[in-house]
Amino acid sequence: MDFPKITRRTFLQASAGTTAAAALAPRMLHAMENELGGKDFSPVTAAERKAIPVNCHVCNIQDGAIAYVENDRVVKLEGNPEHVSTRGRLCAKGNSGMWYSYDPDRILYPLKRVGARGEGKWKRITWEEALTEVAAKLDAALKEDPNTIMLKYGRNRTGGTIDRFMKTLGSATVLNHTSVCESSKKVGQEPTWGPDIETPDFANAKYVLNFGSNILEAAYFHNPLSQRIAEGRVDNHMKIVTFDVRLSNTAGFSDEWIPVFPATDGAVALAIGHVILREDLQDSAFIDTWTNVTVDELKAHYAQYTPEWASKISGVPVQTIERIAREFATTKPATLFTYRGPAKHLYGSYNEKACMMLPIMTGNVEKRGGYCLPRGMGWPQPNPQPPGPKHDSVLAHPPEYPLASHKVSHLVPFWIAEGRQKINVAFTYQDNPVYTNPGAQAVWGKLYRDEKLIPYFISMSSHMGEETALADIILPDCPYLERWEPESMPNSLWPWLGIRQPVHKSLGESRENRVLLRDIIWKLDPDGSRGMKQFWAFKDGEDYMRHHFDNVPGLKEAGGLDFLKKHGVWPIYGTLDPKTGKVTDKTGREIQAEYGLYRKELSAADMEGAMVDAHGLITKNGKAIGIRRNGRNYVGFPTPNRVINVRVDEWAEYGFNPMPTFKRIPWHETMKDDEMILSTFKLNVHKQSRTAAVKWLAEIAHSNPAWMNPETAKKLGVKTGDLVRVESPVGYLVTKAYVTEGIHPQVISIATGFGHWEYGRLATLKLKDRKGDASHGEEDPDLNNVWWDDKGVHPNAIIPAVADPIGGSQGWYDTVVKVTKAGPNDKYGDIHGDWDKHYAAYKETMRYAYTGDLHRKMHPEMAAWAGPESVKPKASGGH
Amino acid sequence: MSEELRVSPIETREAPGKRRFAMVVDTRRCIGCMACQVACKAEYDTPLGVNRTWVPYKVVGKYPNVRKQFLPRLCNHCDDPPCVRNCPVEATFKVEDGGFVLQRYERCIGCRSCMAACPYNARFMLPSHRSYTPITNVVDKCTFCFHRVTQNLVPACVQTCIGRSRVFGDLNDPNSEVSYLVATHATQVLRPEEGTKPHVFYIGADRNQTEFGRDAYRKPEVMELDRSAFKRHFDI
Repeated sequence: MDFPKITRRTFLQASAGTTAAAALAPRMLHAMENELGGKDFSPVTAAERKAIPVNCHVCNIQDGAIAYVENDRVVKLEGNPEHVSTRGRLCAKGNSGMWYSYDPDRILYPLKRVGARGEGKWKRITWEEALTEVAAKLDAALKEDPNTIMLKYGRNRTGGTIDRFMKTLGSATVLNHTSVCESSKKVGQEPTWGPDIETPDFANAKYVLNFGSNILEAAYFHNPLSQRIAEGRVDNHMKIVTFDVRLSNTAGFSDEWIPVFPATDGAVALAIGHVILREDLQDSAFIDTWTNVTVDELKAHYAQYTPEWASKISGVPVQTIERIAREFATTKPATLFTYRGPAKHLYGSYNEKACMMLPIMTGNVEKRGGYCLPRGMGWPQPNPQPPGPKHDSVLAHPPEYPLASHKVSHLVPFWIAEGRQKINVAFTYQDNPVYTNPGAQAVWGKLYRDEKLIPYFISMSSHMGEETALADIILPDCPYLERWEPESMPNSLWPWLGIRQPVHKSLGESRENRVLLRDIIWKLDPDGSRGMKQFWAFKDGEDYMRHHFDNVPGLKEAGGLDFLKKHGVWPIYGTLDPKTGKVTDKTGREIQAEYGLYRKELSAADMEGAMVDAHGLITKNGKAIGIRRNGRNYVGFPTPNRVINVRVDEWAEYGFNPMPTFKRIPWHETMKDDEMILSTFKLNVHKQSRTAAVKWLAEIAHSNPAWMNPETAKKLGVKTGDLVRVESPVGYLVTKAYVTEGIHPQVISIATGFGHWEYGRLATLKLKDRKGDASHGEEDPDLNNVWWDDKGVHPNAIIPAVADPIGGSQGWYDTVVKVTKAGPNDKYGDIHGDWDKHYAAYKETMRYAYTGDLHRKMHPEMAAWAGPESVKPKASGGH
Repeated sequence: MSEELRVSPIETREAPGKRRFAMVVDTRRCIGCMACQVACKAEYDTPLGVNRTWVPYKVVGKYPNVRKQFLPRLCNHCDDPPCVRNCPVEATFKVEDGGFVLQRYERCIGCRSCMAACPYNARFMLPSHRSYTPITNVVDKCTFCFHRVTQNLVPACVQTCIGRSRVFGDLNDPNSEVSYLVATHATQVLRPEEGTKPHVFYIGADRNQTEFGRDAYRKPEVMELDRSAFKRHFDI
């Protein structure tokens, strides 16, 4: 990847050339605007750069992107102008994604640990040696029990390859990261209306309620939805109201920021619902037709949630709740958005449910400018496909959390330590629980260091993350710009399919994940006699994509994979208008989304042989296909009974309240005056753990002082820059204070993504160190210009595990802490988390599970429930 | 601008037969995502420590009535640029058709007169290390993406602007989007009293904000932490 040496003279000649060309170019006609992208030129040589469409994967929003390549190196990333959601734009993270590939500390060769675990001593080995060793370990584990092979992934966008691998091995011990992400939001929504997320139509809304989503910085779907928020706010004069404990950029952009006490969003949402129903502002026709409750039932149920009650808990004034309720109910169309604010608490599922009730009761569902169902697209898996594993894994589907359809992976270290399941081999893929999970190094670090509990640890990674540093063997995976992957995300109101494709040959000896997994299987079953190899009969990543994409109806006619290779996305809905930045059709008008998906009528052919029951449910061949309402046959909502379940009967089976409700965090009720709640957040330029080594992002944000209100700071006697000690029930840390008006006085907030102790020399600010044995990337002279010397302090080690007994989600924002001015022995960056205390916290949170002793106490309204023994065990679900 | 108000012959606003590119920054649409700043870094391989465009912010108000304001900054491509007047070696010049204020790197002697003359702090000295571009130790600045605009593309920062806060076009074309925005909205330019005739127009900018220079938006204490680190480590 050498760049031609350009002297100032050659540069001059090149730029003189462009000037001349510009002077000779015909005068632009009136109203001709400059194009919004799709091409790129070198500022030095003026040569056009090669454009390769890809799908961004710095985070998981999945924007369409174009990689511009010069001398076989990606020098610029841009949004794909043909992508309907992205419309040619990328965020700061997406713009800097090439540094995943060109990080000087990238791992480019298979490595074997030579010192003690975590000591940082590595030996470069060949792929042959690596695969032989891995296959031998897997072989031994398979002989004992396939479920002793564990794979935990963080961001898995392989499109089914990881699952195929584990099914091929016959192991059900597949763990994800969703419980530290947003799982209770998903579990709050799924039983209610089907999908796990909403798509708010911000561009056309007139009123938006935002509960705890920092959509303008992070969250699903930052870039595409932020575009529509700016559009709605300015072009459509919409009002946006944000409830958050902290002045995020989203709160700071909103017409109103309403600070709430942590974990009380649900109460505010219920009280808003109370006012709407009390003043008869609901959409009665929608409720009676499309939900499983009546208006009268709802009114009776909501009578208990008065604004006075919510105000006392949340600190939001009664008048504000009443005003917002009236505004929301009488301004049409209106929508609502939530993210981790309501969901990441003990009982986060209840909070999410309480919030989503507002667009439901006002009939804003699936309306233009309203609260819409997500639009996605699927693709077929290559055949043959491996069957599911024979036995389930208690780690993947813990019986205490039967409703947690997205697993409870953050409790797994405790379960392994308790001996609930033996592990022989553990894989990690695009995950970093030693950094990202509650307890961090004190919990996952302890687990992965323990050679008795995790006898053999394989990391598939391109970077020396905190968990990879504890591995026994590292298989160098490729960053996203060197991989083939299928993609689709409901990040706008238009569904699409896309691909990632390699922009150049993988650097060093790195291999993309699907090829690497194939190579392991081929090593295990070289002649196919074990029946494994048949599922991995593809030449390379591109060949695998052909199996996915060459037979998708519509795309097939357009050219299948070849179309995607050229355009990156399908379908292409229109062209980007340089004047407005909007996608327009052939007539020059902006394209319009389809609304009212649930009101689509079934055709006569659909109805042939179908049966309609007393509730109007239409079934065919034993499958619910729609619902009859007012004499018409609609497809309805994607729930088993095809309507919105305001009352979730399945929850009641386990003694949970099936109706919209709110539970206060018990330990918040007993807080002392000098105690605060610790919350964490993401900044606009970083993701959870993988961007600290991206130099342009690190330059913008490299440290994370603790936000506190001036009132709090005054009480503690600290000012910005002073050291404070933050002590939780499981540990303490010492960090700097940042005094700001933009935070609730009872909250201290620390950003995540900083304070790495691994992840290469830039993330750890050890730039003067010699390159490690594991680093093989090309040096970047620009790193001589790093001017900052504060890398921040990572708070997760002092945050205990909390699990939502319904959704299984981590209660990130539930930790009660004591904040004091740092003492004489406290040093910046001190951090201590204690395994025993974390273990005690885990035991405590299990008491809230439906099998635990606190469950009944928390649900006096469910006194009639017959207890955990009354529930028949169910086949495990989820994914 | 009428002919009488044109004080210098190099001004091209409303000059017949000439283009005058301008940027409108609609602060009502800016979400502070920093995509522009990073896209610019990528476009030019701009080294760490210096920026052609940047987005300072300010937190205003008292709890709970607090807001966050962003003010994207870049070279104003003044119609009457003091940097051009102050350059002793004619390294800095204005392109007549379009109004770009550019830098001839091979003429620059690094005297920093232009940096001192610029009321917007838009110019900087390139350090000796860059990832791959061999132009170092001379003064650099935003070029309004001259190399892109002459290929009929918008500047990189405009291209990626998520909120479509940045709009770029020919102000001498009455039908362009920038002409429309400037004609139909109350706009501000930074430091009009300097007489530089800036061509970056702000919609919705708070006058309290626009009075400050490059870094004055963040809290002084925080700024000081960064500034002292910068002085310790950034070496030109």
